[in-house]
Amino acid sequence: MSSSHSSEEDEKPGHEIDVRFIRVPSIVERKLGPDHAGPMRLDPRILDHMQEAIRDLEGKYGESLIRQIDLLFRLVEEIEAGNVPARDRLYDIAHDMRGLAGTFGHPLIGRFANSLCTYIEGTVARDILDGTILRFHIEAMRDALANRDDNDAVALETLHALERLIKTTIRERRLAR
Amino acid sequence: MNAVAGSAGDIFQKLRVLVVEDSGEMRRLVVALLQTMRIGCILEARDGKRGLEVFHTENPDIIITDGSMQPMDGYEMTRLIRQSGSGQGDIPILMISGHLNRNIVDHARDQGVTDYLAKPLSADVLYQAILRAVSNPLHIVETPSFRGPSPRRNLQVRHSDWPS
Repeated sequence: MSSSHSSEEDEKPGHEIDVRFIRVPSIVERKLGPDHAGPMRLDPRILDHMQEAIRDLEGKYGESLIRQIDLLFRLVEEIEAGNVPARDRLYDIAHDMRGLAGTFGHPLIGRFANSLCTYIEGTVARDILDGTILRFHIEAMRDALANRDDNDAVALETLHALERLIKTTIRERRLAR
Repeated sequence: MNAVAGSAGDIFQKLRVLVVEDSGEMRRLVVALLQTMRIGCILEARDGKRGLEVFHTENPDIIITDGSMQPMDGYEMTRLIRQSGSGQGDIPILMISGHLNRNIVDHARDQGVTDYLAKPLSADVLYQAILRAVSNPLHIVETPSFRGPSPRRNLQVRHSDWPS
């Protein structure tokens, strides 16, 4: 990449630091020429198309969520049987849900997944041989998926209760170690 | 956004964007959005190690990366890209992450991340980040031990409806 290097030395008497400040021209300047320098305007038509693309993927994601929630229930059984890799697999799925569910119109599921990740991050494998808290989360996700258009008040209350439960559980287990 | 300086379509068709993301679904989402924007060339990698290889062979104009990945995460990949010689690594690196804790955002900044986008990702956040990456010059600081955007800047987390 060709960079236009306009460097300035940061000099202090008796305390010289070798610092260079480099201005790299914008991609627009480099590819289209200096006449095109400057901020670019958001085109609402492109944004509309992007939002349409998300809506197109939403249906597929909803189907995928049903499969993922079923898989999470099976993984809890494996975790309770002492299968440590199942815990990692469950975390990976919850981590993906945390990042994606909100984009595809399931913000509550994203928040339950976030709470689930927080719980796993704050515990060690032997702490979650009892999968009760995991199941609470997954059941809440399943309910949120089934009742997407309902009032969120009950789901939010459940979420806050789970968050409080996790805080208490993690604190108690850390003290016990 | 600010005043017009050019048509985004002209420049988007000339862009090479590398997407580094271990989640197949997230990668598909980002690629689908970039395709909708008519980005000329979209490259994909599943983790930082592979992303680094693609960066060296394909010279992308912009990198969009996840943070947490195995075996190499997006932070380490960014640090290594910034260390690339002869200015090859002086490109916008956008991180998309669900980790919004200030310490983690500062860590991303210190490795050389240009822009930090919150998960869940929205179309407008990605679009505006690409516009900034394309139209803003990069200001690189170079010392014997560091090269990248200033580690003293306040790297903001871009959420949906974040003021541009």
